[in-house]
Amino acid sequence: MVKYSYYPGNVARQSSREVEDTIQPLCRSLGIELIEIVGYNGDGGNIIKQGNKDLQLALNARNLAIAEKNGHDIITACASAQGILHESLETFQKDPIALAKANRVLEKTTGMTLDGTNISTNHLLHVLIDEIGLEKIEAAVVNPLDLDIASYYGPHMQRKGACGGDDAWNPTYMEQLITALGGRPVDFKTKTSSVGNPSILSLGDSVMKLTARVLNDAKKAGAQVLVSACTQSHSNLDSYQGKAGRVANKDTEIPVVNLTEIIAFALGHFTDRFAQLRTRALIIGS
Amino acid sequence: MPTIAKVWIEEDCITCDACEDILPEVFAVVDDSSLIKSDVREDGVFDRNTGFSAIKAEFRSEYSELIEEAADACPVEIIKFEYEGGAVEVEPQEVAPAVEAVVAPVALASDTGADEGVLSSVLSGDRSLAVFFGSQTGNAAGLAEKTVKRAAAYGLEGTAIDMDGYDQANFAAHKRILIITSTWGEGEMPDNAEVLWNGTCSTNPALAGVQYSVCAIGDSSYDEYCKAGHDWDQKFSSLGATSILEIKLCDVDFDEPWEQWVSEVLPRIACVDSSGVFHEELVEAMIAYGSGDEDDSASDGDFTPGAIIKPTVSLTMRIFRYDPIMAQSGYDTVAVALPGHATIEDALVAIKGDVDGSLTFRKSGIAGINPLTGIKANGRIVPADTTRICDLVGEGATMTLEPVPGYEVVKDLMVSYDRYDTARSNSKPWMDADPRQGERLASGEAMGVMTSTEAIRLHALADVGSLQLINAMSDTYDVDEVYSGPGVALQRWVRSQDSRSGNSHIKHMFDLMQGKGGVWAEADISSIHRHGIDGSQAADSLYAARARLLAEYKFTGKTGRLVKNYSRSVKMSGNVNETTLYRSVLGPLGLGSNIMNGVSLRMMLGFTRNGGPMMRGFQGMLVPPAGIGKMPDMFNSKVANHHEVVAIFNELDRRF
Repeated sequence: MVKYSYYPGNVARQSSREVEDTIQPLCRSLGIELIEIVGYNGDGGNIIKQGNKDLQLALNARNLAIAEKNGHDIITACASAQGILHESLETFQKDPIALAKANRVLEKTTGMTLDGTNISTNHLLHVLIDEIGLEKIEAAVVNPLDLDIASYYGPHMQRKGACGGDDAWNPTYMEQLITALGGRPVDFKTKTSSVGNPSILSLGDSVMKLTARVLNDAKKAGAQVLVSACTQSHSNLDSYQGKAGRVANKDTEIPVVNLTEIIAFALGHFTDRFAQLRTRALIIGS
Repeated sequence: MPTIAKVWIEEDCITCDACEDILPEVFAVVDDSSLIKSDVREDGVFDRNTGFSAIKAEFRSEYSELIEEAADACPVEIIKFEYEGGAVEVEPQEVAPAVEAVVAPVALASDTGADEGVLSSVLSGDRSLAVFFGSQTGNAAGLAEKTVKRAAAYGLEGTAIDMDGYDQANFAAHKRILIITSTWGEGEMPDNAEVLWNGTCSTNPALAGVQYSVCAIGDSSYDEYCKAGHDWDQKFSSLGATSILEIKLCDVDFDEPWEQWVSEVLPRIACVDSSGVFHEELVEAMIAYGSGDEDDSASDGDFTPGAIIKPTVSLTMRIFRYDPIMAQSGYDTVAVALPGHATIEDALVAIKGDVDGSLTFRKSGIAGINPLTGIKANGRIVPADTTRICDLVGEGATMTLEPVPGYEVVKDLMVSYDRYDTARSNSKPWMDADPRQGERLASGEAMGVMTSTEAIRLHALADVGSLQLINAMSDTYDVDEVYSGPGVALQRWVRSQDSRSGNSHIKHMFDLMQGKGGVWAEADISSIHRHGIDGSQAADSLYAARARLLAEYKFTGKTGRLVKNYSRSVKMSGNVNETTLYRSVLGPLGLGSNIMNGVSLRMMLGFTRNGGPMMRGFQGMLVPPAGIGKMPDMFNSKVANHHEVVAIFNELDRRF
C-alpha cells in the first residue's frame, strides 16, 4: 500500500459526491491508502486570491502543514486543486519571504509551521501512471470501458512540475490510462483549454463559449464520452452543457464523467452507474 | 611570420582546384590529385611530394602565406606543410586561437620594441588601475568592464569596482583611478554610489598622489545633465587628486563619447608610474604600444561566443494555411530536417524558400526580436523568431503551427493586431500627469517625479516580451470580442500605479479595468499563468489589479459578490458553500434564468452524469431556490479546528 494525504478539493464532498464515492474504492483496488487531512480547509479556488493573495496562500499553508505532519505527500482528484496546491507549495519553496509570512500567521493561529521541503502535491492521474504503473492498472480491470473516450485536462495543472512526468502542453497520461482500462482514447485539440470555471457564476456568454468549444471539439473528434480530470470544470461541462450549446450555437451533447468515476467503473465498482453511462453514451454520445 | 619549408599532398584529393587557384606556382591539379610543382622543389619531382622534399629557399618567404591559405581553403584538409625548424602545421581549427594567443606578443615586441624600452620605467612595478562605476541600470557597469579589458593593452591591471560598499578611506591607496558614473533622477547619484558619495563628502579623504579622470553618462534633456560625474570630478579635485584628462560627458548615446574618452585616457593613465607620477612625454609611445594589441580589442567582450549547435531533428510540421480570397483554410504537412538550434522562423523561411513561396508569416526585423512574430506552436504562444525548435519538440515529433488566437487571420500564419492597437489607443494608457505642487523644474514648469525603486516596481508589473502575445495567451480573449485582453489590462494597471499619473487619469484607468471588457472579463487567469515566465508575470499583475479594484469599488457587482461570499463561506465553515454562492451571486433573477435554461434541471437530475442516487437531485428541491446546484449541502458542517481558519481570516483580512 502506498500512502497519500488525501485532499478532496472544494466540491468532492459537496456537489460532486460522485468523486468521493468513486475515489475511495478505486484507490483500495490499486493499493493506495488515502490518509485524511483532518480539518482541511478550502484552497480558495483562486477566487479568494483575487481579493487577498496572502490569505489564499495561508489557507493552503495550513493544508500543507497538516499533510506534512501526517508524513505523506498530497493526492487530489481535482486538476484545479492540484494547480492551486502546487502553485502555493512552489511559492513557499522558492520565496522564503512568502513562507516566513505564511508561517508567522500559521504559527500564531494554529501553532503549526510549514517546512515545505519534504512534501509534494499530486493529481491522482500522475500517481497512477508514475507510481502505480499501467501494467498493474491493466491487470486490475474487471469491466473494460469499450467506449470512445476524450480526456479533458484543463489548464490548471498543465504546468511544468505540476503534472508529473506528463507533457504540460500535449499531455497523454489520460489517454494511456484509458487504453489500459480497455477504452479507446480520442484526442482533441482543446483538451487543456479553460472552460472558465472560476467565473461560472460571474461571467455569462464567454464562459459558455469556452465550455461549448471543449465539448464540441471532443464530440467532433468522435468521442462518446468526455472524462474530466478537473472536478470543478466538470460542473461547466456537465450541468451547463445545454446552455453552452445554445449560447455558442454548437452541438455539445455528450456524457461527461469525472476521471475517478471512469476508473472505478473499469475496476468493477458501481456496475449500475457504468451501465447507465454506457446507455447514455449510446443514446447521446454518438 | 614563420616560413614554410615543406609542403605535401595527402591522399583523397577531390581535385576541386582551390589550391591551384590560390597558388598556381606551387600547386597543379591533375586528373586524380593536386601535385606540388617541380620548379619549387629541391628534388625537382612533380608529384604529391610524399617524400617530403623541401621547398627551394628562394620561394619560401614568398609562398608561405599563400600555402597556408591554400591549406585552409582545402575542403578535405589534405594539404600539409612543415615550418622551418621542423614544426608541422596543425589542424586549422586549432591554429586560430594558438596563433592569436602566442603570436600577438611577438608582433607587439617587434613593432614596438623601441617604445617598450622607453616605457620600461612606467611598465614596471605596480600597474593597478581602479575603475569605479556608479550605475543605476547597468550601463556604467558595462562600460567599466569594457574599460578594464581595454586597459590590458597598455600594460595595466584593471579592476572594475562597484561603488556600493566601497570604503572611501581606501581611495588613496590607488595611484590610478577612473570613474564612470551615470546620473539618476534630478541630478542624483545612482543608488549604488549614494553611500560612498555621502561618506566621501563627510570624511574628505586626502587624495594627493591619485591621478584620475571621470566619464559621466547622462541625458542632456535634463537640467542637471551629468551632475553625478561633475560632483565626483570636483570632489576629487578638491581632495588633491590630479585630473589626468578632463571629464567626458556622454549623452544618451554614450558608446561613441566613451570610446573617445577611453582611447584617450588609457594611454595617459598608463603613463603614471608606480609612484603616481604622470610621464606626459611617454604618451605617444604608450599609444603606439597599446595599438600593437589592437586586434585583441575587447570592446565587445574578451571572448568569442561559442557556437550553439544542436543535432539535426527530423520532424513533421503541420502548418495552418488560410487563403483569404477563396476563404478556405486547412493544414499543410511538411517533413523537414533542420538543425535543432534553428528557430521556428528559420524553419518557416526554409519552407517558404524550398517548398512553397506563398507561405505567409511575420518575420523578425533586423534587430532580431519582434514581439509580433508570435505563433501558436503545439499549443504554446511563443515568438517565432527567438524560439528554438529543440526547446519545443524532439526527434520525430509533429509540430503544429497556427496563428495566435484572438486576432483576425490575414493570411496563413499572419494575423492583424488591429484589435490590440484599437483597444490600447482607446484606453490611452500612456502618461497623463497633473501638475503637482512643489515639484517643479528650475524653469518653473511643473513635473512628475519617480524614484528608481518605483520605476523598477512599475516595470516589473508588466515585464513581458510582448503585450500582444499576452492577449493571445488568454483562452477568453479568443471567445469574447468585447474583452480588451490581459495585455491592455496590464498597461492600464501599470499606469494606474504610476505616481506621476494625474488623479483623473488614474480614475479613468480604474474605470476601464472595472468596466465591461476590463480585467473581470478574463474567465480564467490560469490559462495565462501557464505560459512560462511572461504568462506568470501577467497573471500576478492581473490578480493584483483585481485585488485593488475590489477594494476600490467595495466588492460591487457579480464579481465582487463572488469573491466576498466565497471568502465568507470558507471562513464560516472552512469550506466553500456552493448553495450560498449560487444564491448570493446569481440572485433570484440568475437562479430563475438557470431554471429557464435547463441548467438547474440538469443539476437536479444528473442528466448526463452518473452521480449518486437520484434522491440527491430531489433533495435540492426541498428549499428552493437555495438548494439548486449539483446538490451541495444546504449548510456546511464545520471542519475540525475550524477556529484556526477563522483566526487566519481575522489575521489577514477582516473584510470577510
